[in-house]
This record gives sequence, C-alpha cells and structure tokens, in this order.
Amino acid sequence: MNQTMNLGSLITGSLNDTLAVSLPLFRTELCLAATIVLVLLCRMLPLLRRLDAGLVALGGVCFALWFAWNDMRGIPVGGLQDGSAGGAAIVRQELFGGLLVFDSLTAYIRLLLMGFLAVYIPFTKASGIPDHEDGADFYTLVLGATLGMCLMASANHLLMVFMAVEMASVPSYALAGLLKGRKASSEAALKYAVYGAGAAGIMLYGISLLAGLLGTCHLPSMAAELSRVVDAGSASGNVMVLALGGLMVAVGLAFKLSAVPFHFWCPDVFEGAAAEIGGFLSVASKAAAVALLLRICFGLGVPTTGHGAVAAIGANLAELGSTRHFIVAVVGLMAAVTCTLGNLAAYGQTNMKRLLAYSTIAHAGYLMMAVAAAVAMVGIDPAGSRDAVSAVAFYLGTYLFMNLGAFAIVALLRNRLRSEEIDSYAGLVRSSPGIVIATGVVLVSLIGLPPLAGFVAKFLVFSSLVQAITAGAERPLMLVLLVVGGFNTVISLFYYLRVLKVMTFDPPPADRPGGEFSLVSLPGAIVTALVVPVVVLGIFWSGLYACAQLAGAFAS
Amino acid sequence: MNLLTAGLPSTAIPLFAGLLDAPVGVAHYLVVGAILFTSGVVCMALKRNALGVLMGIELVLNGANVNFVAFSSPYLRGEGSASLGLDGQLIALFVILLAAAEAAVALAITLNFYNNHATVDIDQADDLKG
Repeated sequence: MNQTMNLGSLITGSLNDTLAVSLPLFRTELCLAATIVLVLLCRMLPLLRRLDAGLVALGGVCFALWFAWNDMRGIPVGGLQDGSAGGAAIVRQELFGGLLVFDSLTAYIRLLLMGFLAVYIPFTKASGIPDHEDGADFYTLVLGATLGMCLMASANHLLMVFMAVEMASVPSYALAGLLKGRKASSEAALKYAVYGAGAAGIMLYGISLLAGLLGTCHLPSMAAELSRVVDAGSASGNVMVLALGGLMVAVGLAFKLSAVPFHFWCPDVFEGAAAEIGGFLSVASKAAAVALLLRICFGLGVPTTGHGAVAAIGANLAELGSTRHFIVAVVGLMAAVTCTLGNLAAYGQTNMKRLLAYSTIAHAGYLMMAVAAAVAMVGIDPAGSRDAVSAVAFYLGTYLFMNLGAFAIVALLRNRLRSEEIDSYAGLVRSSPGIVIATGVVLVSLIGLPPLAGFVAKFLVFSSLVQAITAGAERPLMLVLLVVGGFNTVISLFYYLRVLKVMTFDPPPADRPGGEFSLVSLPGAIVTALVVPVVVLGIFWSGLYACAQLAGAFAS
Repeated sequence: MNLLTAGLPSTAIPLFAGLLDAPVGVAHYLVVGAILFTSGVVCMALKRNALGVLMGIELVLNGANVNFVAFSSPYLRGEGSASLGLDGQLIALFVILLAAAEAAVALAITLNFYNNHATVDIDQADDLKG
C-alpha cells in the first residue's frame, strides 16, 4: 500500500474505478439483475400479475443482448490482428479492483449467453414447461443462473470464481426440481444438489490452500507468485500442497464441465428434469464452465507483470513452464477419458435425453482437448494458442444451435408423443418428415460431418491439436489426444445414426397419440430457427469465426 | 512440510511434537481445518441420510473457512511470509452467506424428495440409472 495515499485520494480512486470504468462495462449483468427484480415485482403487484413473466424476461434480455453486442463491437479489431502483445493490453480491463476482468473472451461469452437466452425464452414459451403459475419462478432462476455464468466468464479472483460457480449452480439445483410432483424430477434435483455442493466444498478447500500458500487470490498476482515459488525450485512440500490445491479446484471445474470422473450427475439430471432444463444446463452452463476453465488455466499458467490495472503479458514466457505442464497434463488426460467414456456409455441408452446427456459429456471432452492445446502452445506458438482459443469459442457458438436444437426437438416431440424414449420415435418420417429432417441435421452436425456447422467446429479443434504437434508443444500428449478424438468421432457415428434409423426405417407403433408435427407452426418455427443456423454456419462460417478469433485474442 | 511449519521456528522438528512445543501459529489452525474437512468428506461418503450428507458439506465449507481466517491473520503468520490480509476474512464472510443459501435450497429439495418418496435415504434415489 502506498504511504502517501490519504482517505480522499482513496475515495476518489475507488469512485473513479467503479463509476467510470467498471459499471459501464458491467451493464449487461446489471440489466439482467434489473430484469430479475422486475419479474419478481410483477408477481407481487396485483395489477401486473396478469403480465406474462416470460415476456418481461425476454424484454430485459433483449436490452442485455444489445449491451453485450455493443461491448463486443467496441473491441478494436485492428489492434489485435498484428499479434503484438500490446494489442491485448488495450482491451484487457480489470473491473472492481481486480475482482473481474473485461476482455474479448468476456465479451464473446456474454454475447453468447445473452443470445442463448433470447432464443431460449421463446422456446420455453412454445414448449409450455413453465406454466403461467411457475413462470416467474422459472425465469428468475434462469436469469439468476445466467448472471452467475456471466461472472464465471469474467472472474479474475478466486473469490469471484467460487461465488460465480455457486451463483450458477444453486438456481440450477432448483431448476432440476421444477416438476415438483414427479418422482424422477425430485430425485434428479437431490442428486444434483448433493454432488454439486460436495464438489463446491472441495473446490473451496483447494482455493483456501492455493490462496493461503501464495498469499493472494488475484489470479495474475498468483501467477507471479507461482513463478517465484515453483520455478525457484524451493521447498518441495509447498509444491506438493500447491498441486493438491490445484487438483481440488479441478474437481469443482470438472463437476461444472461434467467431465469424467465427476459426470455422474449429468445423465440422471438430464433424464429426471424436463428437456428444457437439460438444454439450459447443456449449452449455457457448459459454455460458462469452459470459459472459467480458460480463465483459470491462462490466469495461473501465463506470467504477467503483476498487480496493475492493465496487466500486460510479460515477455519471459518461459516462466511457469512446469505449471503449464501440470495444467496441460490434468486437462488433457481428463479430456481423453471424458470423451471416450461419454461416447461409449451413449451406446446402450434407450432414453433420448440420457443419450444427449452422454453426448454432452463427450463434447465437453472435445472442448477440453482444445483448451489443453491452447495452454500447451503458450510461450511456444502464441498464434497457435490464439487459434486454439478461437476454436473453443467457435465450437461453443455452433454448439448453442445444434444442442439447443436437439433438446428443443425432444421437448416438442414430448408434447406430441408423451414420451422421450427413442423407440417411441419409430416411423416418425411417415407422419411428420419435417421434424425428422431437422433431427437429422442436428445429429449429423453433432457427429461432425460436412457440410454442417459441427464439422467446422470439430475441424478447428483437431487442427489446433495438429498445430500443437507441429510446434512441438507437449507432443506425445497432443498426439494421443488427436488419435482419441478421431477414434471418438468414428464411434459416435453409430449411436447418433441409430436414432435416425429408428425414426425412418422402423414401423410406427399402432397406438401413437397426437397428430402430425408440422414445421409450419409456432413450435415448428422455433425448431427451424435453431436448425437453419446449423446449416448456414456450416457453409458461411467466416462471420462467427471472426468473432471467435476476436475472443481468442485474449490468449496472446 | 514447509507449509505446516511456516509460522514455526525453522528448526526441523517432527510434526506433532512441533505443534505441541511451538506457540500457536497458522499450523495449528490448519490442522483443525484439515480435521473438519476430512470429517466432512467422510460424512458425505458414508451417511445414507440426505440431511447427514448436507451436514458433511457444511463441515467441508467450515474447514475451508478456518483455513481462510488463519491465513489472513498477520499475527499468526511469521515474519516475512505472505499473508492473505483482509481478503481471507472477506472470503470467509461470503462463504458463510453462500453456505446458508445453498443449505436453504438443498433442504427444500430434500423436503420435496421426501414428499415424493416418503424417505430421505439417498440409497432410495435409484430410479434413474444406466
């Protein structure tokens, strides 16, 4: 602390930091918070009670989306392309005294989450899962969890890491139990809450070890301290405790990512809760968890020049090599196991939501592969590292459409068929070919076949692995990941295609309830709105990729 | 274990003898925290009653809290070692708040489970599997 600092300058400084710098860049979250209050107020006042909570929420989200879009557009494109370290330093801005950070990754994930909400709320209106009575509760919980996810994407301090994870998790537990009278739903909520709270507790203990040993919770300062402790090769006991703390933090992250071996909750929650909740957890929660993984990996693995408001990336990237090696090993091994186990377990599933849950787990594996490649290339091939982060960002962008599309189809078919079993979809092509084509597009994109968006995303992930191999960064592990990734793409082919086979070739059951599913209806329009981008992004992907590259620039 | 002897005289001494001889420092608090954490994890793993599991989670959180408060105290850390300062106490306060919120939601969920299953035994939560 500076000796010459008196109370006056302290107050001026913090006022300036809060009002002039932080709050303007925080307006997306503020807008979400205001919407939550508005939704709750509407329910309290008798006159406004007739107002639909979904519409109020949608209005607030549109404002938030507009702010997020402006923040994204405000990022200078030219300064980032030249690859100099100075470009990123312009954008990186620490908010609220270093608790949060605003950079291109924050802006991208925030835009992604707001875009997700703008599609998700109309979808829930069409599928009718929160009825008018539950509407206010449902949208409050969804917006609250999304607020936590925005904080996850911008956390720069271990306190914020923990707070954001809890803010995203606790509403999700309640969401999983939204169907109060159903046995399966209450069981899913209980399992989710118990696993989640346990993982959060272990993560907090890990945070306490890391913070206590390094004497700070601010991620860039921790990196500086880490390089002093680890690279100086001082007492090995400290390094052991640091590794233990790091692994405990990884437990909490793996739970949010539903990575093996902390994935047990995922299939149970997806099966027990409504398909709408599954879509929310699988897309939004996944995107935020991957962003938080990037934050922590790059926060601890990349040396910076310390505590300043604008922390420029230091020149001596050879520092912290052993920390990065540890991070890459943990993330990479977990990615390989997650991917393989997710795909293998998806084979025997008869319930569509459970199949999609295992597919979600497998996709978390692919995303973690790219994260491992990005961290491995820091200091060896900065451009490659940026490209790997862009691949992650692009993957998340396409994943929004294809996975939310898959869950939307499950939810809307449930309303017709009163069932989510794969067998009940038999012969659907004869009565409603439109929905079968939509399912086909979504599933083929999830496999990653051209010409759909999933192919481009998967291609970018694998090309970042190849880039890491050619650059010689952690070559053996990256080779293993590439082989595992290719092998997994092949085996995932069969279980996705089995669903399509049941839908097209099997004879329809005689006692099918409900009429045909036409794409020319409100639910059909929602499905179309989600499926068309999957096709379009497979061909015209340069626009989204430009945004993703902007997000990747944070990793210079 | 350099961590455990951080606040102690630098002479290398066996762990427990050192704890008994030395003036009370960070290490003593860390031992309490570790015991709380271990009890909590054991409780989470072995209890079959959902309320017991939730109590285990509270123990884990409080174990971490003891660590935070101990690390933040400048009086317990020896000369020259980094102290967490007010950050640690602040985190402890936030954790107490979050633990309360989490317990409220988890208890509501447990009550709902009881309404549907007429039990809070988590071994009975086995309808979903595969």
